[in-house]
Amino acid sequence: MIAKKVLLVGNFGVGKTSLIRRFVTNEFSEDYISTIGVRISKKEVQYNEQIVKLLIWDVAGTSGNEKIPKAYFLGANAAMYVFDLSREETYIALEENLKMVKELSGLQNITLIGNKKDLLTSEELIAVKNKITVPIDLITSAKDDENVEDAFTLLTAESLK
Amino acid sequence: MKNTTVDNNKDNRFELLRELLLAEDREKFNSLSQEIILREKLAKRVSPLVDEKIEDLRENFPVYFGDTITETIKVQIRDSQDEVVEALYPIMGKLVKKAIVSEITKLSDSINKTIKEKFSVQEIIKRFFKGKKNDADVVLQEVFEPIIEEVFIIEKDSGLLSGSYSRGNIADKDMVSGMLTAIKSFAEDAFSKEGQDLEDIKFETFQISLKNFKTIYIAIATSGVLNSGFKDELSDHINNIAEIILRDRSYLAEEEKLNDLIKRHLIQEKSR
Ligand SMILES: Nc1nc2c(ncn2[C@@H]2O[C@H](COP(=O)(O)OP(=O)(O)OP(=O)(O)O)[C@@H](O)[C@H]2O)c(=O)[nH]1
Ligand SMILES: [Mg+2]
Repeated sequence: MIAKKVLLVGNFGVGKTSLIRRFVTNEFSEDYISTIGVRISKKEVQYNEQIVKLLIWDVAGTSGNEKIPKAYFLGANAAMYVFDLSREETYIALEENLKMVKELSGLQNITLIGNKKDLLTSEELIAVKNKITVPIDLITSAKDDENVEDAFTLLTAESLK
Repeated sequence: MKNTTVDNNKDNRFELLRELLLAEDREKFNSLSQEIILREKLAKRVSPLVDEKIEDLRENFPVYFGDTITETIKVQIRDSQDEVVEALYPIMGKLVKKAIVSEITKLSDSINKTIKEKFSVQEIIKRFFKGKKNDADVVLQEVFEPIIEEVFIIEKDSGLLSGSYSRGNIADKDMVSGMLTAIKSFAEDAFSKEGQDLEDIKFETFQISLKNFKTIYIAIATSGVLNSGFKDELSDHINNIAEIILRDRSYLAEEEKLNDLIKRHLIQEKSR
């Protein structure tokens, strides 16, 4: 079986741990327990007739343009950048932050996810989308289990490229 | 000559102007410096007194406050005996165990050293009959036998597990390898000077040694008393394994094959 290392990064509190929890154990909690350092989860997924063992590195959130230790990116096959649709400060510097993640990881493509869709009305969502200049891969809600599986399928596909 | 006079006059005028303009500031300056001088004097007189008081307090702390503190502690212990016992019990157990293991490690090494020094003939014989252990080892190893608990062969960058051996049943090995790599990255990032690797992680009676190679690292968790003989031998075996793997990289892709290799070279070799 092949194994791949994938990474979730982004501002603190955007829902990285929640997305992973929803994906791996199909659970969600309103409590916020901020991740310290790194947490690693595992899930075997099927992709195009093959089984892939995903080792998911849940990296502690950053604030502003705080740097993530480069060592965490070593050997990563794909990375997801998560932002919070309901908090502008988490997507205000997307372009710059994506560039930084690309430089640190050496990856060409970063999967971009906007989370907490359930907190916005459809008008608000359109307004937010208009403010963001980089292409968003998926809009998710860890709470309502919306597009979470798909987000990780995108990530898996990216890791196999 | 003429020039000089003119210049003198100019100088004088400047002098006058400066006096006029700066008179107020100068007053302020003077009073300020008076104040500072005064404070310095005061400080000189006071600080030895303060020092003396502190010194006195340091020396006589038990005299001044000892009774009060002892009384407070006594009352607390009396009122919450169960809590105190409960809090101390596990700590003491661990401390005792840790102390014994560390003392015995020292003892074992020192006995070995003495035996080596005194009976160098024995050393020669030992080299002939390789594998024969000395007296201190025989006795001690029966009591605190060093045991290889876990072996992980891990891809250095990604932290992905290539192969492993486990004596018991541990939590998810893939996740342990990942976390170990994350801890290693973190420690090396935060504390080490350029290019240094984390080599040991120690628990009370359990330790993990990390041996770094170019693209992989090998983590070995052991328990018991590790004397230098055991360590040397282990280190030899690890180098052998690494050499085999790095020469034939197919081992890294085939977990079963690698697990087999670990068993043959590290575990069976050891228990012979
Ligand atoms: N409404 C809503 N809340 C969410 C969603 N996802 C996460 N949350 C909440 O947001 C808070 C933070 O979620 P986490 O998953 O801990 O965020 P994180 O990105 O892992 O945070 P750090 O570990 O600090 O970087 C928690 O209270 C979650 O319950 C979502 O899709 N909708
Ligand atoms: Mg988290």
